[in-house]
Amino acid sequence: MKTRPMQIVALVLLAVLLAGCPKPILKWEPAEAEETTPSEAAAEENPRAAAALQLTGQGRRLLEERKPDKAIHALEQAVSLDPTNGQNYYYLSEAWLMKGSAPQAKEFNHLAEIHLKEDNEWMIRVAQQADRIAELEK
Amino acid sequence: MLKKLLKYALLIFVLAGLGLTIYGWYLSNQVEKRFSARRWQIPSTVYSDTTLLYPGQRFNPTIFTRKLINLGYRRVNHLPAKKGELQITPVEINIFLNDLKTPWRTRAGFPVRVMSADNKIETISRIDNGDKIPILELEPEEIMQFFGPERERRHLISIEQVPEHLVRAVLAAEDHRFYQHAGVDFRGILRALITNLRHGAIRQGGSTLTQQLAKNYFLTPARTLTRKFKEVLLAVIIELKYDKNEILEIYLNEIYLGQKGSVAINGFGEASYFYFGKPLKELTLSEAAIMAGLIKAPNHYSPYRDKARCRSRRDVVLQSMQRNQWLSEAELQVELKQPIKAVGFTVSDTKAPYFIDYLTEQLKSLYRPEDLSSLGLSVYTTLDTQVQMAAEGALAKGLERLESSNPDLQRQAPEQKLQGAIVVMQPKTGHILAMVGGRNYSISQFNRITQARRQPGSAFKPFVYLSALAKFTPTTLLSNDPKSYTVDGKLWEPKNFEPVTEYTVSVKNALKKSYNLATVDLAMKIGLDQIVDMTSKFHFSTPLKPYPSLALGAFEVIPLELARAYCVFAAEGVQPFPLSLKGVVDEHDNILEQTHLNIERLIPPAEAFIMTAMLQSVVNEGTARSLKWRGVSWPVAGKTGTTNDFRDAWFVGYTSDILALVWVGFDNGDTIAATGAAAALPIWADLMNAIPQYRSETEFKAPQGVEKILVCSVTGLIAVDNCPEPAEVYFLAGHTPAEPCALHAKGGIAAKIIESLKDVIDEDDR
Repeated sequence: MKTRPMQIVALVLLAVLLAGCPKPILKWEPAEAEETTPSEAAAEENPRAAAALQLTGQGRRLLEERKPDKAIHALEQAVSLDPTNGQNYYYLSEAWLMKGSAPQAKEFNHLAEIHLKEDNEWMIRVAQQADRIAELEK
Repeated sequence: MLKKLLKYALLIFVLAGLGLTIYGWYLSNQVEKRFSARRWQIPSTVYSDTTLLYPGQRFNPTIFTRKLINLGYRRVNHLPAKKGELQITPVEINIFLNDLKTPWRTRAGFPVRVMSADNKIETISRIDNGDKIPILELEPEEIMQFFGPERERRHLISIEQVPEHLVRAVLAAEDHRFYQHAGVDFRGILRALITNLRHGAIRQGGSTLTQQLAKNYFLTPARTLTRKFKEVLLAVIIELKYDKNEILEIYLNEIYLGQKGSVAINGFGEASYFYFGKPLKELTLSEAAIMAGLIKAPNHYSPYRDKARCRSRRDVVLQSMQRNQWLSEAELQVELKQPIKAVGFTVSDTKAPYFIDYLTEQLKSLYRPEDLSSLGLSVYTTLDTQVQMAAEGALAKGLERLESSNPDLQRQAPEQKLQGAIVVMQPKTGHILAMVGGRNYSISQFNRITQARRQPGSAFKPFVYLSALAKFTPTTLLSNDPKSYTVDGKLWEPKNFEPVTEYTVSVKNALKKSYNLATVDLAMKIGLDQIVDMTSKFHFSTPLKPYPSLALGAFEVIPLELARAYCVFAAEGVQPFPLSLKGVVDEHDNILEQTHLNIERLIPPAEAFIMTAMLQSVVNEGTARSLKWRGVSWPVAGKTGTTNDFRDAWFVGYTSDILALVWVGFDNGDTIAATGAAAALPIWADLMNAIPQYRSETEFKAPQGVEKILVCSVTGLIAVDNCPEPAEVYFLAGHTPAEPCALHAKGGIAAKIIESLKDVIDEDDR
């Protein structure tokens, strides 16, 4: 099949239009500033939290590999060890977004908000996540 | 005439032959159906959760060692060299890990060293290359297998797993010509006949293994000629359809080999663990001969029943092996000298039976019982067997302690004895870590955590106080004066547990000291409908009505639902669905079901925290303060509960990581003559002390929306210099006291009195 010049123009236009659209809501955006390797001092002070960070890291990697079920399992284990780390809830929300479940994503986003309230950088991401959940709900 | 007779005889012969053929064909189909069904019936296996180990983690050495043994690790006196070996020294635990295989993670086993000091893990490292391991996951523990409604125990084996000496011992004991005959051993029958005639009694049976199998599968134990005929016919059919090794494999998996309480032990795989605590491949020759000897009459020759009888039967088997040249004379002499030693067992060995019942109920909505006993599913659960062991131990010890301290609580009939129940959950995830539904499952299968409906008493009060948070602060003053209420035309006069002189008391102190009068006063001020509305959000399935006695926990609740409701306080206002099931995987490792943390937001985090802060004061200074001298020195929030006439004793306590509910009482509602603090709380303390791995020791973290203010302990207003014993109290933001304490402020009445007293004292001094 021959491609006509008009078709090419139409495709380019479509690409330009799409580039202006919001990002696909299910796109996984890996964190850049996060640190999931605990320092020795942190591990000494709260070993449970330090061990949980390992699982948080695993969960994040599994999300990057787009394996939400396995990620959820690792992150739930992390929550079991350290229920105060809001990152786990953020990533759990992300996993549920990946699975297309807005209600669960919303609950975990809310928990992330509660636990990450004092971290401005994370709160921006939590807010962006809430927007993506709202998009999914539409 | 003769011709006619011959004709009839031939006709009868043909008809009989035809009948036999049709019957044989029918039996053949039956065999096919039954064998193929049975052979491919693979039980579903229930597993506990995996166990996480990490540096800095505290552990209970006794329970942890039992856990490793339950996982199948065998203690050795050298550095573990193969999978499943375990070496324990005072400072290190060396384990050659088994493979880990769950739907979510797989890894091959490797040797690992866990260094510890003072029951705390210092480091975890690989023995082979020294690499440090930050977090280690131990495989899940097998809890049970679904094998039919009777829960018969069976550990399936394939013929390749059976050691040769066991096969020979079985053949020597039961059918040494197994590989020569075609299902029926006519030589054997003749020999048995001669022996029996010689002794004038039945001394020997002529049944082959195949006949025994036919008998077990298809026939009743009745000793009739018809049954014997059927048995022979079936044996021949089985031999025609299956090869010898297949028949032997089915036989070894099927044969009844003893009784463990109410549970039948079927097959050599299971019996090997029951009698000797090890897999089949590790049985010694003497042990194999003991097991083969059991086939004749398992309970009669059981090493648990009569060691002398067991020995003499074993010796018969060994001698038969020697006669069949499967054993030399020298070997025989060595084996005959071996002692009879069984591993020992407890009658009720089903792990976490109440939890399993609860899980089975959940599974019923997903699978039919016959599927569970045949599809070979792997069922992964939330159970932590270390917590389960600790809970079972704490309950048993606590109930015995109560009975010995008060002989009135002792009952002769086992089913009337003092009861107790425990459920342990993770408040944030809803995972049920342990469930003990009663004192003794073999006596009563009634699950007091999931099936009982009991009045919670004061353990219900937190929901009354929560309902008041919109209008009342922790320092709002309540009346603790006796009052009468009219309910349905009847006079109701609540009383405090004991007479007190505090006629006015703050909200916080009323909960801390569990005052009934102040609580009812609060309930009436906020409105009973308001309490019912609030409480209905917490998913209690039992009816709660707007009667004043609601405030004192007079309506029955299901203990699991009460525990779930308390999770909301520990989990920033979010309620989890209680989970026992994590996932189901089929025999080809496909995930069929996966349950995830399922949560629902019920109250704002700030309100949940205010409740936790008040419930922490119950533990620090109130009715649960005895936890401190019971070794619980880390931050805990909780509430005691006692019902009318001391029928129920409760304690629900939690940290951010774990929540446990303990109930003690009699099934028939007899008094236990003890409060929640005296009966249930010590059990809770014992449980928590036994699972140090769940102790995070971190303070409950205040969320946004709460403020900590130093207040006057008398007026509840902002403390000033003269306020006696000012205390820090958490308030919801916007609900803090607006005024400084006027009573103790300069120029206040109290301050004036203090000043006057000072003047008097100063004058006296002069």
